[in-house]
Amino acid sequence: MESAIRLRGLHKSFGDTIAVADLDLDIEPGEFFSMLGPSGSGKTTVLRIIAGFEQPTRGTVSLFGTDVTSLPPFTRPVNTVFQDYALFPHLSVIANVEYGLRVAGVGRKERRAQAEEALGAVRLAGLEDRRPHELSGGQRQRVALARAIVLRPQALLLDEPLGALDLKLREQMQVELKELQRSLGITFVFVTHDQDEALTLSDRVAVFDAGEVVQLGTPREVYDHPRNRFIASFVGSSTLLEPDVAAALGLARTPMAVRPERVTLAESGPGVPGTIAEVIYTGPEHRIVVDLDGLDARITALEPNIGAHHRRERGDRVMVTIEPAAAAPLEPEAA
Amino acid sequence: MQLGRVARIVLATITVVVLALIYLPLGVVFLNSISTSESLSWPPPGFTLEWWGRALESTGALEALGTSVVVALIASTIALVLGTLAAMALSRYRFFGKETVNLLIVLPIALPGIVTGIALNNAFRTLMGVDLAMWTLVVAHATFCIVTVYNNAFARLNASGTRLEEASMDLGAGLFTTFRLVTFPYLKSSLMAGGLLAFALSFDEIIVTTFTAGSGVTTLPLWILQNMFRPSQAPVVAVIAVILAVLSVIPLAIAQRLTAKDAEAVAR
Repeated sequence: MESAIRLRGLHKSFGDTIAVADLDLDIEPGEFFSMLGPSGSGKTTVLRIIAGFEQPTRGTVSLFGTDVTSLPPFTRPVNTVFQDYALFPHLSVIANVEYGLRVAGVGRKERRAQAEEALGAVRLAGLEDRRPHELSGGQRQRVALARAIVLRPQALLLDEPLGALDLKLREQMQVELKELQRSLGITFVFVTHDQDEALTLSDRVAVFDAGEVVQLGTPREVYDHPRNRFIASFVGSSTLLEPDVAAALGLARTPMAVRPERVTLAESGPGVPGTIAEVIYTGPEHRIVVDLDGLDARITALEPNIGAHHRRERGDRVMVTIEPAAAAPLEPEAA
Repeated sequence: MQLGRVARIVLATITVVVLALIYLPLGVVFLNSISTSESLSWPPPGFTLEWWGRALESTGALEALGTSVVVALIASTIALVLGTLAAMALSRYRFFGKETVNLLIVLPIALPGIVTGIALNNAFRTLMGVDLAMWTLVVAHATFCIVTVYNNAFARLNASGTRLEEASMDLGAGLFTTFRLVTFPYLKSSLMAGGLLAFALSFDEIIVTTFTAGSGVTTLPLWILQNMFRPSQAPVVAVIAVILAVLSVIPLAIAQRLTAKDAEAVAR
């Protein structure tokens, strides 16, 4: 099958700064694909190159088998949902959604019908005649979505679309985005710096750092087997174990990352002894920091909050164990 | 912010004095326009509407008014087209010498009128070898009218960034469609404000005008200067001045309302 989006040797520099470094990437049709990374890692530049707003310094962009590298944005079969929505302030909601159809020369009646349908799909029927400034952030977000999907693009590009929303609304929109993507059956390319969002929504995640994809895989692969220190600490939280500590815990003598929920604490039994240095109550869980005896190392464990009688206290002695399968060996750092 | 009593009184006094300094003379002009004295002597010996009748029948004044309006209209239209294009180029594209071009466009508003006047007069007559006429005057006015349009449009374009235009192109609109449907509507109010300002600048310009208007081309300011000290014309000039003062409030009010509306829209 042909890739929806194929990037080959994609390179972009702004003056002396390299934004994207010789990137090869294939995004499949119908896939929910996330580009995750801290700000300045190049993910937004890649999205803008796919949309056609930026020209790569070198390399090619193909959409469904057609090389579009030198085509302007208005001839590409993709549409974008912008970070700040970029709704046209002088046009009503319905006119915003109709915009692409109007430019394409679709008749007044036909485009009104299609725009109504798109507004329905994002559950925004009834607000047709409002102006963007009369809408809430969440509603603007939906208009931006409707405006993009009404053109039935082969791929939808989303640039941190939920960044400006508050937490509750964000979680709700995540669910709706996922449902929308499933019902439309088109490729979504989703840029975010929020690892939670990327893990929740995606079929596959590309983790960006300094203009490169440092890991590419399903959310499970990326979370359970982070390849290096950067990913282990950027995607979720991890304790990084030095080779000596890993060996003491019965693991291979190599740098390892372990997720706090995979660390087991017990009052007695096998394992490495330690003293609890900190207990942090987060509601659903306790985050427990343990100083390991004689190792000059700390490890964080996560225990579910299952009642007051199970509480651990600072200063308690515990035995720490980690299943070999629960720890991810890290690649040595590139110097 | 709270001010002390003394500070309030001092500030209020200064405000009143300054405003009085500006507006009392205007009141005097109005009184002169209905004074029976032909030589603007003070205090007015009596009142009459004779000058108002004469002013409205004065073909010289009316023709001069017409000339001024036509010149200001054409000059600000040229300024609107060229100023908008320049603002688009300088806010949306990167090119060599951009900062220099920006400076060169804005400079005419800062240049003393007398310099612009002499320079253009020379250029027209000796370099280009043409006779001064109405069109030389229009071109001269356009040089500084462009600046107000350019400044307004440039500020607006820079404030908005390219996001709306990118959205438009993303939705399939080419460069011209994007300008027509997105950029222009967005710029419209700042172009109106810039255009009105350009109109006002051109309308009462006299220094550059003196050097670039052909013989027989008399704008209203030129006419006023010529008639100011003629016997029995002074009160007619006062009438014209009053009419102009009233008329000049209109574009100012429109421009202010437009700017306020925009500030509101931006704030939201």
